[in-house]
Amino acid sequence: MAATQAVEEMRSRVVLGEFGVRNVHTTDFPGNYSGYDDAWDQERFEKNFRVDVVHMDENSLEFDMVGIDASIANAFRRILLAEVPTMAVEKVLVYNNTSIVQDEILAHRLGLIPIHADPRLFEYRNQGDEEGTEIDTLQFRLQVRCTRNPHAAKDSSDPNELYMNHKVYTRHMTWIPLGNQADLFPEGTIRPVHDDILIAQLRPGQEIDLLMHCVKGIGKDHAKFSPVATASYRLLPDITLLEPVEGEAAEELSRCFSPGVVEVQEVQGKKVARVANPRLDTFSREIFRNEKLKKAVRLARVRDHYIFSVESTGVLPPDVLVSEAIKVLMGKCRRFLDELDAVQMD
Amino acid sequence: MDTHKDVQPPKQEPIIYICGECHTENQIKSRDPIRCRECVYRIKYKKRTKRLVIFDAR
Repeated sequence: MAATQAVEEMRSRVVLGEFGVRNVHTTDFPGNYSGYDDAWDQERFEKNFRVDVVHMDENSLEFDMVGIDASIANAFRRILLAEVPTMAVEKVLVYNNTSIVQDEILAHRLGLIPIHADPRLFEYRNQGDEEGTEIDTLQFRLQVRCTRNPHAAKDSSDPNELYMNHKVYTRHMTWIPLGNQADLFPEGTIRPVHDDILIAQLRPGQEIDLLMHCVKGIGKDHAKFSPVATASYRLLPDITLLEPVEGEAAEELSRCFSPGVVEVQEVQGKKVARVANPRLDTFSREIFRNEKLKKAVRLARVRDHYIFSVESTGVLPPDVLVSEAIKVLMGKCRRFLDELDAVQMD
Repeated sequence: MDTHKDVQPPKQEPIIYICGECHTENQIKSRDPIRCRECVYRIKYKKRTKRLVIFDAR
């Protein structure tokens, strides 16, 4: 009995000890455990695999993926970060910049502004093409001149009163449609995601007058193209009480974990601790600082249960980002299989 | 990133400089004394080029 329990723990749990983490690697490959059939089986995989969406709003998504290996989960995370394309400012044509912000700093800041345009409707720009066409480029104009406010009070020191147009926001960026873009994209759909990002500050007499070209790119090339802010996963916590904890110790135990993880209930007049919702725990390992209680608890994580958290920058909804990531991975697999077939034919 | 330099256009007007202190624009012809019209500051700055400069937003 104890032996099978220990084997199950070794196969399915990552154990967090006081001074280290054990059982980190996947060990259930075929032949490793006698008495277990670990050969990959499509039916068994489909029976065990599930994806549950826990929470979704317009910019963030939390979902669970259960029954896959770390390599696949990590592949999705890396693809979300680096290989799902977006549109971002690439070339800045400066006609005039007399502001305090240097040209190159200004250009760098403009590149990082998220642009609300569906990248699936655009193509990558061809190598060496400097001008860009309507299918691969978006053009924006930023033209702001700061002037002194003639109606300001004499002794005012508030810049909002003294100057007009002294703060340059993303709402000052105007979209210049190229070619047939005006027909394809209704007014107001192609814009920066947020209109209140402060780009630069000006004083009277200073002017910024520039044109921006946006292209399609991926995060691998430059982080400005990454569509997520950010995408990460954690493994489902698994907290078990090795012995019953009662009375004052139960209260102490519940304080060692994040709120809601350990519940203290009244059973026959005594306070008894119970693990209510281990998913909420952030594993501060506070329990190991308590000499009495650290022997009563086993901290572990379920090795194949991934809790993903995807936050979008606003370009695409987060669920669309996840499906795009899945499509990218499928494309990579297809390319790889085609390569293998091509080799076999020789 | 800069664009290519082209041939110097023939000078058509005297060049406008900006005073270092009062920021007024002074037109200075050659062999004119270097002095601001309004204040007595003598250090002048040239205006920013009118030529287009292209940068990579990276």
